[in-house]
Amino acid sequence: MASSSDVTPSAGNTPEPDSRPHSGSAPQGADGTRRGRVRLRRAAVLAVPAALVTAGLAILTAQGALGVQFAISGMPFTVTATELDGTGFAQFGGLDNMAEDSPNAGDTGGQVLVVTSVIKDATLTKLCQSVDLGGTNLLITAGGGDTKVAASDLTTDSTLLSGDAAFNNIEIGNDAGTLDKAGPKGHGPKGVFSQQADTVHIKNLRQTNYATTAGVFKLPGLKMRFSDSGC
Amino acid sequence: MPGDRRRGFRTAFRDWRSGRPFWGGLLLALGGAEVLFTMKASLKVVLHVGMQGVAGYLLPVVMLLCGLLTLVTPAQRLFYSLIGVLASLGTWLTSNLGGFLVGLLLGCLGSCLVFGWLPDQESRRERRRRRKQARAARSSAQPLEQRAGGPA
Repeated sequence: MASSSDVTPSAGNTPEPDSRPHSGSAPQGADGTRRGRVRLRRAAVLAVPAALVTAGLAILTAQGALGVQFAISGMPFTVTATELDGTGFAQFGGLDNMAEDSPNAGDTGGQVLVVTSVIKDATLTKLCQSVDLGGTNLLITAGGGDTKVAASDLTTDSTLLSGDAAFNNIEIGNDAGTLDKAGPKGHGPKGVFSQQADTVHIKNLRQTNYATTAGVFKLPGLKMRFSDSGC
Repeated sequence: MPGDRRRGFRTAFRDWRSGRPFWGGLLLALGGAEVLFTMKASLKVVLHVGMQGVAGYLLPVVMLLCGLLTLVTPAQRLFYSLIGVLASLGTWLTSNLGGFLVGLLLGCLGSCLVFGWLPDQESRRERRRRRKQARAARSSAQPLEQRAGGPA
């Protein structure tokens, strides 16, 4: 190996403590010959485990063993699913503010009227999420197989929510501050119209989330790809 | 002369860059910024979601800080690179699959570059020449004499 020929300490490929006295010292690049460099073998010591862990995370997520969390806003973000089954449902209106000088503000003045839906526990079949990245769409699909996508504390501010819905024990016209069926997160501001239900079943769900989706997803059968068209 | 001043600035920048893991730190900071860019959820909703929502912001901020601090205090680069790579990997779970994978990859690559960086290395050309000399010396089976005549 070449390492046997590296005699002087500064040439070591994977040196341990010999470089310590130099670390952080003033650069000697003035003469153009000696300067800091990335040693590939040394970088590989960290790169290999990092790559393994990344692959492991991706595989675990694709098997549905790990939940991943989403929080997206400002970008048009579409969620579709053929079926959604949820327990603990609450919905109320609200006004969402964009970040200052957001390029997505357009003529809205930075404020969008949205419907906030909270579902405590939801299972979704054939979930498809797409984010418009300007030109191309990033598509995330999951739950196509036997195991379904599970989401907890799914909180969405949607501008458009469509589908064929069936509710159980629905209460319409509550004050949004008094909601209790969707757990501690399913509260709205006081004095706002709202509705809540014990269970919800939506077929052919389609949401356009202009503002925010936040929730923990378990995504079995995860696939990410770029595509020209969204969901 | 403006041209002279620019060249002076350039060499000064190059010297500054050569004393620290510049590209690694920059990539790590960019990765953190990218993840933050994809997040930018309104704070109200984050508070709605609670602790996990806060973690989704915390990790990319840690990445960003590690990247910048690597440039400021390169002596601590090992610590920063390890924290940086852990934070980058954590964003897969907390922040939109690591900013849709882009920020995660940038952060990991940057951390590895920072980790592998060593100060005060001789230039590649010189190193290659010396290695070739050493190989020639070994093949001619008189290593001691050759090495004595080699680079000081």
